[in-house]
Amino acid sequence: MNADQADAGAESPAEDILRTAQRLRQGITGDLHEYWVEAIYADAARIADRAVSRPEKKARPTWDRTIDRIVTSRLWGFPIMAVLFTGMFWITISGANIPSGWISNLLIDRICPLLRQSADAVGFPWWLKGLLVDGIYLCTAWIIAVMLPPMAIFFPLFTILEDYGYLPRVAFNLDNLFRKAGAHGKQSMSMMMGFGCNSAGVVATRIIDSPRERLIAILTNNFALCNGRWPTQFLIASVFIGSLVPAYLAGFVAAASVTGIAMLGVAATFVISWLLSRSVLKGEVSTFSLELPPYRPPRIWQAIYTSLLDRTLFVLWRAIVFAVPAGAVIWLSANLSIGGQSIAEHFVNLLNPIGLLIGLNGVILFAYVVAIPANEIVIPTILMLTVLTTGSTAMGQGAGVLFEIQSEGALRELLHSGGWTLLTAVNLMLFSLLHNPCSTTIYTIYRETGSARWTAIATLLPLAMGFAVTFTVAAIWRMFT
Amino acid sequence: MENVSLVILASLTAALVLLPKWGLIARWRESRRMTEKCRREDALKYILKREVNGQTPTLNGVAGALEIHSNKAAELLSEMERRGLISFDCGQLRLRHAGRELALHVIRAHRLWESYLADQTGVEEAKWHHLAERKEHLMTPDEAEELSARLGHPVRDPHGDAIPTVGEELAADAGQSLNSAPLNAVMQIEHIEDEPETVYAQLSAVGIRPGMRVCVFEKSPERIRFWADGQEHVLAPILAHNISVIPLPESAGQDLFDEEFLAGLKPGQNARILGLTTACRGAERRRLLDLGFVPGTSIEVEMVSPGGDPTAYRVRGTLIALRREQARLIRISTSEAQPL
Repeated sequence: MNADQADAGAESPAEDILRTAQRLRQGITGDLHEYWVEAIYADAARIADRAVSRPEKKARPTWDRTIDRIVTSRLWGFPIMAVLFTGMFWITISGANIPSGWISNLLIDRICPLLRQSADAVGFPWWLKGLLVDGIYLCTAWIIAVMLPPMAIFFPLFTILEDYGYLPRVAFNLDNLFRKAGAHGKQSMSMMMGFGCNSAGVVATRIIDSPRERLIAILTNNFALCNGRWPTQFLIASVFIGSLVPAYLAGFVAAASVTGIAMLGVAATFVISWLLSRSVLKGEVSTFSLELPPYRPPRIWQAIYTSLLDRTLFVLWRAIVFAVPAGAVIWLSANLSIGGQSIAEHFVNLLNPIGLLIGLNGVILFAYVVAIPANEIVIPTILMLTVLTTGSTAMGQGAGVLFEIQSEGALRELLHSGGWTLLTAVNLMLFSLLHNPCSTTIYTIYRETGSARWTAIATLLPLAMGFAVTFTVAAIWRMFT
Repeated sequence: MENVSLVILASLTAALVLLPKWGLIARWRESRRMTEKCRREDALKYILKREVNGQTPTLNGVAGALEIHSNKAAELLSEMERRGLISFDCGQLRLRHAGRELALHVIRAHRLWESYLADQTGVEEAKWHHLAERKEHLMTPDEAEELSARLGHPVRDPHGDAIPTVGEELAADAGQSLNSAPLNAVMQIEHIEDEPETVYAQLSAVGIRPGMRVCVFEKSPERIRFWADGQEHVLAPILAHNISVIPLPESAGQDLFDEEFLAGLKPGQNARILGLTTACRGAERRRLLDLGFVPGTSIEVEMVSPGGDPTAYRVRGTLIALRREQARLIRISTSEAQPL
């Protein structure tokens, strides 16, 4: 009896309190957040004033101000930016060749034959040896050799600039340009990162805190020509475009055409950003703010360590995870036969009409299908498939085995025998810029946006653009030749 | 063989038409039911708004508000009477209890959804009303309550209208038209009528929003000139009619003309932040507050981007760049500045 009374007694004040709380809650206006923030700032300022003593002369801010005046000045801002970034890319591209050679020598020229021998010694059947060594191992080794050195150079350089506080100033300088495209100045940083690796570029968009602008940066990051695509561009440009002009101009013309493709990618970034911000992304929340942190002496070792761990190895690991099945698929498709023809040949024949329509061919399209895991293996796959379909025995190392050709002349001959023309080369360069992102990037986009819809748009939009652009170029080309 | 495919085709067609939930007939009935529901609720809304503003709701008024023929409106009203929503005593339209509750809920849902669109999305202002007109019929009272809690129980919608709470009476429209405002007196915009949509779109495009302080300094039959948020605005009286204002007797007209905004601050000048204007809202407002753009803070222009925009400001010892369109939303005072 007593307990019951106590319960009833305890319940009614509790309900009363809840009702009062509810009434008071509804009486609170939307400005509560504001009063709160003001009160927190007032408190923080009071505590800071009591606890922090400020020296009279401000040495560092003046030094910061001087640097800021120079790097954001009308006269020097853009030249400094151009010099720093050109330098960064030059160091990456020229510096990566040497370690790439070492790794390739070690993994492909030395370890690969060893693996083949030991597979024979253990008594593996030919198909198991082929699948494991020529398929999975070789594809993975290839990706590591081509991908690791440029990223191991580019990411630390980028992190050092970021750490120093220079990159936010770049965003500050370029914001006006991005604002006109409906994007955020910080997109310049994720785009720059995208030139190293799109997957890392997509992760780098986390610095953009406005949802709409961040989605724009994610969806357009693929238009930044990544490390994996530069070698394709250089190779095709020097073999097909450089050879159009006298030898002493060849290098310059080839480099200029690759730069032109990269600039086209930048132009596509702005145009698509503009279109997206005015169409599908119209209803997303948009805010702007850009913090310019004080300059700090870069902590070089820490920058190298964290960039290797957070960016290089992170991206490399995701690439390897996707490379293993790709290696298996490439080898199997070239070695499994149906009706006397390998699966790869069936697919190449199937894709050939579409390929020719857009000024490419079935080999290239099939190579882009199986090379979704990494753009780095597009060229070796194309070479392998060309040898397979033309039946040329002079080159190549067997069905499903990726390889490279050092001599430009031999390469040109092989590709000509595969039916390549100047149009094929130009369209391949365009298609290499405008096609779906690699599987690593697609997966990263999915992780970052958490939405299958945005992932699908990010994947299919550049692919559709690639088909449209190559088709148009082919049509115009055929009109004049 | 042909017979078999014919049978399959016939049954597929039948399924397409007759399926209980997805079939064409079911869909057509569902959409008719929805149209009827929307019409009833819109009519209730109209009647309630007339009632609280002391006007008499009429059958023709309902027909006009819903853009339907008066025969159709009569049919609708008698259906509503049958459902116990309204009474039609001696030719006088009156809401019954159930009708009043439902009308209040629909208005509440409408205003909450507009608040949601304004606060949590980037949907442009001109579309809020239109989207809320549809959403109000789809929300249940529980969903409305949940949304209200999520928004922190807002008191007013972005047009300045009070959001009625459950079991509360709807407040009558306050304020007078901007056309009838006295010259050179400071008024505050209380409400901006969101219908017709084109007029509202024009007003929102020039940045006129509830909570803004305005001062009319010239009136003629052709146009009305007033000062607001550091800018002069000129409107045709037909547009100005949609703006309701209430007087703010404690401030003088001169204060308004002397208002300064961060966008006007020159490099090297100091100022003190007075606050954010009402045009700055949602995520943008919270972000600026979090960064320390709170009243009383000292601020200084540090540098301007080579493109002319954005500008970097020194606030509380940090350097933060804002675009010009944002700097226009921050009220400052250069006379009350303290050296940093």
